[in-house]
Amino acid sequence: MTFKRYFLMQLQIYFLLVSLIFAVSMVLGVIFSPNEPVYYSQFRGPFILAGLCVLPSFVTYYKDEPSVQEYIIRHFIQLVMIEAIVLFMIEPPENVSIMLFRVLVGISVFIIYVITKAMIMLQKYKESIKLTKQLKEMQLKEV
Amino acid sequence: MKTKVTKIERNKPEMVEIHCYSVSDEVNEILAFVKSRQGQLTGVSDDNMYEIALSDIFYIESVENKVFLYTKDNVYETKYKLYELEELLKSKRFLRISKSTVVNLMKIDSIKPALNSRFTAELFSGEQIVITRKYVPDLKKALKGE
Repeated sequence: MTFKRYFLMQLQIYFLLVSLIFAVSMVLGVIFSPNEPVYYSQFRGPFILAGLCVLPSFVTYYKDEPSVQEYIIRHFIQLVMIEAIVLFMIEPPENVSIMLFRVLVGISVFIIYVITKAMIMLQKYKESIKLTKQLKEMQLKEV
Repeated sequence: MKTKVTKIERNKPEMVEIHCYSVSDEVNEILAFVKSRQGQLTGVSDDNMYEIALSDIFYIESVENKVFLYTKDNVYETKYKLYELEELLKSKRFLRISKSTVVNLMKIDSIKPALNSRFTAELFSGEQIVITRKYVPDLKKALKGE
């Protein structure tokens, strides 16, 4: 995969992450600090966080096609790096236990990661349906 | 055996249909001739040489510097190099889908997603072969008729 194509793929993931981080922030905010006011400046948080989550992907950039095993290992490393960055970046609210907060954030990151991958897979599934349809049309024409 | 030729409209598929009491050697000979008109390749299996109709080949694979032709039930070795066959069969709806595989597009039943931007081609024989991401753009072009 060329770096340009890889970059565009990561850009797509970045915007997907921004949306999901907004959603998770809302859920965690409602649970832990439902009465806390939200300022406009705080909206930049998901953009910065998503950027930091996408950065580890460039560490695992691969030009050559990896095997399925390598692919899984690289994604595992990517997830661990994202978890580490997010847990390092986010401070828990004052009235919440640090451990509980870190566990919940860790789970949230994992869920976001899985949803992101699932959405990409869904996109590929749609693409494969389109390709199969084009293939059938081509086969009908050829017969 | 009586023969009959019927002209059909352009949107209908051309077909040779044989009505017979049993599939005799004569019938097989006619079938082989019809298939040979669509192109064929020479392959070796169990030290015997065979003429294999292109329409019978599902895919062609290169394994350790040897090139094999895969039909529904048999595998034949061929003297051609994979890149030679790729060039030779381009116009016959054969397409390179990975470093080691050229597939007959007419034998693909469906395309499914696989890990890592790859796709899997499920053939009418039930076999599944990998389409690596490098060749996905070529596949898209071929299906669009470009």
